[in-house]
Amino acid sequence: MKKSVLRASDLAFPKQQRNWDWRAASNFIAGGAGGGLLLCVALAGLDAFPARVAILLGLILIGGGLTCVWFEIGRPWRALNVYRHFATSWMTREAVVALTVFAAGGLALLTVQPLLVVLAGIFGLTFLYSQARILAANKGIPAWRHPRSVSLMVATGLTEGAGFLACVASLASSASGFWFMAGLIVLILTRAFLWKAYLGALVADGAPEAALTVLRGTDARFVVFGHVLPAVALAALMAGIPGQAGLLLAAGIMMVASGWFLKFTLVRRAAFTQGLAMPHMPVRGRGTAGPAVKPGWKAMSGVSSG
Amino acid sequence: MTRYVMSIDLRRCVGCQTCTAACKGANATPPGIQWRRVLDIESGEFPDVRRSFLPIACMHCANPPCESVCPTRATTKRADGLVAIDYDLCIGCANCVMACPYDARSIVHEPKYAYGDTPMASEAKRFDPDRIGVSMKCTFCKDRIDLAARTGQIPGVDHEVTPACVNSCISGAMQFGDIEDPDSSVSRLLGETQHYRMHEELGTEPGVYYIWDQS
Amino acid sequence: MSMEAAQSKSVKHVPTYCYNCVSGPDFMCVKVVDGVATEIEPNFAAAEVHPAKGKVCVKAYGLVQKTYNPNRILTPMKRTNPKKGRNEDPGFVPISWDEALDLVAQKLKAVRAKGLVDEAGLPRVAVSLGHGGTPSNYMGTFPAFLAAWGPVDFSFGSGQGVKCVHSEHLYGEFWHRGFTVAADTPNCRYNIAVGANVDVTGGPCAVIRHADARVRGYKRVQVEPSLTATGACSAEWVPIRPKTDPAFLFALIHVLIHENGLAKLDLPFLRDRTASPYLVAPDGLYLRDAQSGKPLVWDEVTATAVPHDTVGARPAVAGSYRVAHAVVVDADKERREYFDVEGKTAYEMLARHIDKYTPEWAETVCDVKATTIRRIANEYLEAASIGETIVIDGQTLPLRPVAVTLGKSVNNGWGAYECCWARTVLAALVGALENPGGLVGTTVRLNKSRDNRHLSVKSGEDGFMVQYFNPTSKEEWQSSPSTRNLHQTLVPIVGHNGAWSQALGPTQLAWMFQGERPDDWSMPMPTLPDVWIVYRSNPSISFWDTRHLAEVAARFPFMACVAYTVDETNYMADVLLPEATDLESTQMIRMGGTKYMEQFWDYKGVVLRQKAVEPQGEARDFTWITTELAKRTGLLDPYFGAINKGVSGVSPLKGEGYDFSLDPASEADPEQIWDAVCRAASVTLSEGREEHDLAWFREHGFFAVPMSRLEWYLTPTMEKLGLRYELPYQERLLRAGRELGRRLHEKKMNWWDEQLSEYTALPEWHDVPGRWIRNLEKAGAKLEDFPFWLLTTKSMQYHAGGNAAIEVMHEVAQNLRGHAGVIMNAKTAAGLGIAEGDRVEVRSHIGATYGKASLMQGIRPDTLVIIGQFDHWATPFAKGMNAPSLNTIAPMSLDLTDATGSGADIVRVGVRRMEVPA
Repeated sequence: MKKSVLRASDLAFPKQQRNWDWRAASNFIAGGAGGGLLLCVALAGLDAFPARVAILLGLILIGGGLTCVWFEIGRPWRALNVYRHFATSWMTREAVVALTVFAAGGLALLTVQPLLVVLAGIFGLTFLYSQARILAANKGIPAWRHPRSVSLMVATGLTEGAGFLACVASLASSASGFWFMAGLIVLILTRAFLWKAYLGALVADGAPEAALTVLRGTDARFVVFGHVLPAVALAALMAGIPGQAGLLLAAGIMMVASGWFLKFTLVRRAAFTQGLAMPHMPVRGRGTAGPAVKPGWKAMSGVSSG
Repeated sequence: MTRYVMSIDLRRCVGCQTCTAACKGANATPPGIQWRRVLDIESGEFPDVRRSFLPIACMHCANPPCESVCPTRATTKRADGLVAIDYDLCIGCANCVMACPYDARSIVHEPKYAYGDTPMASEAKRFDPDRIGVSMKCTFCKDRIDLAARTGQIPGVDHEVTPACVNSCISGAMQFGDIEDPDSSVSRLLGETQHYRMHEELGTEPGVYYIWDQS
Repeated sequence: MSMEAAQSKSVKHVPTYCYNCVSGPDFMCVKVVDGVATEIEPNFAAAEVHPAKGKVCVKAYGLVQKTYNPNRILTPMKRTNPKKGRNEDPGFVPISWDEALDLVAQKLKAVRAKGLVDEAGLPRVAVSLGHGGTPSNYMGTFPAFLAAWGPVDFSFGSGQGVKCVHSEHLYGEFWHRGFTVAADTPNCRYNIAVGANVDVTGGPCAVIRHADARVRGYKRVQVEPSLTATGACSAEWVPIRPKTDPAFLFALIHVLIHENGLAKLDLPFLRDRTASPYLVAPDGLYLRDAQSGKPLVWDEVTATAVPHDTVGARPAVAGSYRVAHAVVVDADKERREYFDVEGKTAYEMLARHIDKYTPEWAETVCDVKATTIRRIANEYLEAASIGETIVIDGQTLPLRPVAVTLGKSVNNGWGAYECCWARTVLAALVGALENPGGLVGTTVRLNKSRDNRHLSVKSGEDGFMVQYFNPTSKEEWQSSPSTRNLHQTLVPIVGHNGAWSQALGPTQLAWMFQGERPDDWSMPMPTLPDVWIVYRSNPSISFWDTRHLAEVAARFPFMACVAYTVDETNYMADVLLPEATDLESTQMIRMGGTKYMEQFWDYKGVVLRQKAVEPQGEARDFTWITTELAKRTGLLDPYFGAINKGVSGVSPLKGEGYDFSLDPASEADPEQIWDAVCRAASVTLSEGREEHDLAWFREHGFFAVPMSRLEWYLTPTMEKLGLRYELPYQERLLRAGRELGRRLHEKKMNWWDEQLSEYTALPEWHDVPGRWIRNLEKAGAKLEDFPFWLLTTKSMQYHAGGNAAIEVMHEVAQNLRGHAGVIMNAKTAAGLGIAEGDRVEVRSHIGATYGKASLMQGIRPDTLVIIGQFDHWATPFAKGMNAPSLNTIAPMSLDLTDATGSGADIVRVGVRRMEVPA
């Protein structure tokens, strides 16, 4: 059991969530990348061998993430109950989609049949989207529930998937032409844009100060290593500088690593709960009501930060 | 229709934690797990300081985010307004813990006792293995509400069918009852006071009302 | 619980009571499942008779754990290591009850053989009991054993006298039979609470009443250096400088008298119910009628000085008058005669005395703005609504809904006399003393009858109610102390009403004088008792200078402790006797009527504590233990005699029309004893209409009869007897102090001289905080090293419960700010580089205590607060809390002991961040 070590003065403040540890984070980290990779494979039109490698990698990532989660849940032997709430639960939907991913992905792996590869890609994207919606449905975590977290999660999953694909392509010495590079750059720029949009909107709409501090603290590193450097590398490749395989590998790794860093940050470090608030302090007898208080949130007019 | 809600008069609460302890007793929660507690909140700067006590627990929302995210249907919103957990269905995925904006839920992964590894007689008597590894929270003392449905007693009026925290409160801060019944003590009290619900902006429609002044 | 329900065979809800703190008893039920106590619940069957509606506070919810705590002592034990001390493992080994009882009985019999009193004139047997008399609600028939025994020394306190509201006990009972004093909260509209932490310590009755009052719209102004839970729930917080409360209260009086004037005060009350009109001679003594010796008043009808009780006279309250002939009576009955002398009324004396204590002056002392003081005084006066009346049970009484209530540390030690006097005068000035809405006493302990304070009001000297001071005359003064705290020798006002008077003597002196005594000590050297019995008491934690106290306790030759777990005091014991605790044993006590704190009810009656579950291990009901001790010491006859007289029960077992008395030869067991008590109690309460046995009480829990609210107020009784409150002028105290001084000086002792300065007719401000600073400097310390005041405050989770070993209390208490930490002002902390949660050392000139910093805005920058009293080193569970305690570093000092023998929980300290985080 996780023993609370909170002090009384902290109890009303937003708290870093302690229920989803590295195992749950791994599902978002690996599974999201796996889903993104499957879609990228479908779009990239690779040769059979690299396609097989990439599909296998995608399935391993998704399977690995789900296994990690299985080790985290309190009642692993009744895990199949996860399928009981398709109507509203994105976790159920993720689990259902995972089945289709493995079915289509497995067949694609065996046959490298384009239709199956495309199907696996579509299911991979759906899996990725489901994960993004799992986070966003959690109203208890302001950094997750923000609507812009969905597009960011999807974008980073795709970027990571593309990063993986770039790595596979570089290692397999597979063709990686101009349009492939351009596609990667577009993805990188899109993720950068969505990240900035997310962070800006979160600041504007309000979130626990502790969460904002963590996210702001990651901003520069995320942007430089996840976007600027890989984009420069890819641009250089497009410009035709030598050492293509190495640069592509480096760009791919940076695209993946930065996305995982972002997701680990989001799922663990910036995952502060809502905290509790008092829009009105009570009136005691003939006293007066004190100002509103919302501990751990930026003071707004008439609201004390406690 | 019936919707059971709780009102908490912040003017009355003295932060004594009697409800916290009564809840722990009534629900046999392990050390460190409090389905409800009273927060001690300070604001302002010396010497212009306010200190208030804020009892918190599951808000039994009309639009509970924990319910919609639950992949197993273990968490359900009942017709009488209670948000309940079926321990036999829950897989302990903690999605509901993340969905709740009130820090109301927790999961205990292994048995824990007040004094070391061995349960006291009172703990052994009440240890429920079904509650290990699953999501838990305030139930509004569901068994009592269910008893009322069988006996015709009225929650909030008849103590036997009223939540333990409400029964225990020595400042008379808490009322419990059917907000759909205009004559219930809760409805009447809310009618004559100013109150708010926690984080209403999130659209959860909580079933706990905090009274802070007279109308 | 589905599992529980499936496995359960039987579920019972057993009615009983909680009296873990002085604010009891409160009702509860124990839920028992298959013979195992599982829950504490309110007892709603008592909702009508109990002001708190049948509910108990948070402490009671720890009683299930208390019962099954694996750290309990469950067999009698004896010590095998003859060496005693904190660093000596006692080597307790289990023994049989026979052996344990014989060990204790042997020692007791040896005492009887030698004589009950030793060569120093002190009892050879000492007994220490815990907080505020609460142990008597758990120790069954032990009081009957003590009564059968003879002289017992209750001197070795565990905090009584210094941790209670000591001065209120003494002066409150003296002035208005208020051993504890409360606002008449159900009717009160304005309460100035000077440190009174009633929402924490007042119990459920006070909590619900004040909550009701808040919703009703009363105003409570909380005057205290840190914002307690009670302060939090008040309309206004006034962060006063520690120990300057008398100055604040004096200034309130100043505003009433000098800025509003007599015309706005309750003139009839002052004239008829107080000594305000008594004429005072220039020498400070009452001018008295030469023949009758009665104090004189100035009759406005005849324009002459007449005895105070002259029929038809209309005494002047204010002014100076020439009196043709009068006498004064000084110490040792010395009479002086006066002719054509100017007599000022006592009120006039007060007015002139208080003239200098302006709000502007008080601001410089208290760090409270003069405008605030003035506003509060005027709000108080306005809220008093002088002239308003209320009808209670057909009788019209004044309604004066204002009260000044005092808290611990305001109410003990130096400055407390001034505070008690000032707040009682404030009540008298507006007629709020013992009138509806105002300031009421709720019980008596230094006078009889303890269960009805009205019966203690009898006509005494000078138109006042009778008092039973310890004599200070040459003939009667106790020059050789009969107790180790010298209560009869040094403290006239504490009286000699048995254990209560003793326990309210200067209990720290009993501890201190076992070490050093003043150079000019000329009395027999204090001895250690041959036998020391301790119950529900842990002075090595709950008194001061606790490390040193434990060393003294280690020197006691034989110590028998009725023990729950090992603790810091019984660590030195020779024998441990495990008692059946709260839920495991039986006892009947009185409830309702008017009792401590805000326990004044509309009913009075009796309530049973019963064996809800079988005792764990070999633990035995205290009544069984007591009967065995009586048997083994040959005291069965007087023991049962005392029980028959009602000493341990609630009424005599034999009275008019009933006889349930017990035959000593029968060696009645606890069940038989309490059955007889139940029957006698129900017969007497119902005036013979109902008789209920133990079985009936086990089912019903309590028996109550209605009581008129008129019994809440003493003033109608005073009026009926034509008596006046002995206010505002303190001629009796002045004289007692003079006599006491003479006696001590005749014995060539001057070590109590500073205390004698407190005997004044009208208290003066005397730089109360400065006494602590001077004490520090006298010890060779530098003030700049100790720049902060350290105070302590209570928490409802622990207050008086002796429950530091209970895990769930610790858990829930942690929800409150500062619990188990050192509370300090956030800005101050920042200046010292201390952050929330940092481990800090708090050091006084006698030692250090350690805890985590808890930063708050609701505390003065010059003050630190440590909640509760922990710092345990032997008590299981508690010793792992690593909580700090003021008690460890507060010195016991004669300099810091006031004339009543009390001290206060305050000490100068320095604080620093520990370099190595814990």
